[in-house]
Amino acid sequence: MIRFFIHFWEEYKEYIVLVIFVIISLVTISLNKQPSVKKARSIAFSGFAAISSVVADVINITGVKSENAKLRKMNAELMLEVSKLRHYGIENAELKSLLGLKDTTKYPLIPATVVSKSLSIAQGTFTLNVGSLDNVKPGMPVINEQGLVGIVNSTSEDFSVVRTLKNLDLKLTVKDERSRIDGVMKWNGSDLVIINVPKTYDVEPGDRIITSDLSSIVAIPLPVGIVIGLSKVETGIFNEVKIKPFVDFVRTEHVFVVGIVENKELEGIQLNFYNRNKPEKKNK
Amino acid sequence: MSSKYYLPIILFFPVLLIQGTVIPLIAVNGIIPDLILILLVFYSMNYGQLYGTVLGFIFGFLFDLITGSLLGSSMLSKTIAGFIAGYFSNENKRDIYFKAYSFSLIVLLCSTIDSVVNSFFTTAELNTNLFNLIFLQGMLPAVYSAVIGAFVILFYPKRSLS
Repeated sequence: MIRFFIHFWEEYKEYIVLVIFVIISLVTISLNKQPSVKKARSIAFSGFAAISSVVADVINITGVKSENAKLRKMNAELMLEVSKLRHYGIENAELKSLLGLKDTTKYPLIPATVVSKSLSIAQGTFTLNVGSLDNVKPGMPVINEQGLVGIVNSTSEDFSVVRTLKNLDLKLTVKDERSRIDGVMKWNGSDLVIINVPKTYDVEPGDRIITSDLSSIVAIPLPVGIVIGLSKVETGIFNEVKIKPFVDFVRTEHVFVVGIVENKELEGIQLNFYNRNKPEKKNK
Repeated sequence: MSSKYYLPIILFFPVLLIQGTVIPLIAVNGIIPDLILILLVFYSMNYGQLYGTVLGFIFGFLFDLITGSLLGSSMLSKTIAGFIAGYFSNENKRDIYFKAYSFSLIVLLCSTIDSVVNSFFTTAELNTNLFNLIFLQGMLPAVYSAVIGAFVILFYPKRSLS
């Protein structure tokens, strides 16, 4: 019997090892949401990101000159924009005070540098050089001067991993800025798309897409992209809206983490509903 | 302990560093070559199928852990890629397989399989068609990897290969 097993192993060891490793991989895929796996991952990426950040700094220095020229031009354009917006801001503040609305436009921005990128087709992620010590928390939106880059997925003390918009696991509620229509946007492996948009809805190529205030992840309006087309679904009642993101993920080097996680008050209300369903626990 | 067991693991880290920092700078339409796979193919062809399978598993595990992608996806795809690359491990045909064009074709094959398997598992809910999966997500990055692989072999010292 033992001889048979030895012979079997000698004959098919490559295949046996392959099958074992394939099974382990499949089991590991199913364990991704386990807290222990998340913890192991945060330790691993923070260790490696410390080295990556040094290399990324060296690479960034070489591009500083051309970036400076670009920034000067952008600065001038923004200066013009700001003067226009300042005028609107004053007008807006006056109108809001008339209506008795609170100002909610101030968000803390945490500057960060991308130290490493994983540009896989389905799982786009960035590693940033800011972490929990800089008050970065999972769920915070990450932006640059072009628009929304992604959402912080996990953090270590000094580093954090961001899921970019080009990540299948990131789904966002977005809004057509012109027609105010909401929808769920996701990455489908080749395009950013808003799914299940009824054909009767008013969405046209060229419309700007921003994050929706209905979103439980990003409840502030951040520019996401522009509509480049509608899928031609011959049957059914839904369209798929293709979006071109504003952000150039390949060239993104410097970003800001917006220091908000989610609406605490809204969370409180939702928790009240949640707690109401479990009165026995509350009484204990 | 022979260097064949620890050298690829040591090399993995600087290669991953380059993959994460320098390679995005040469991306074409978001498509990037996979240096980790080139390293895996090279060592699998050198030391055989069993070695390639185990090395692919280790590379995939480290890659998933460090980059934050779905843990297990690269483990699976790189294990299979290492297994396939191991088929081209033959002492008598080293001169043929380690020529630039042969090596790049082997990288093309392994990279296509790696990308397709990876996409298949990371895009489980994807309603993409087979052409998109094989061509756009599999072949294009694989072609880029194959070109880089050809350069690697061209500039690799021939004495070390024999």
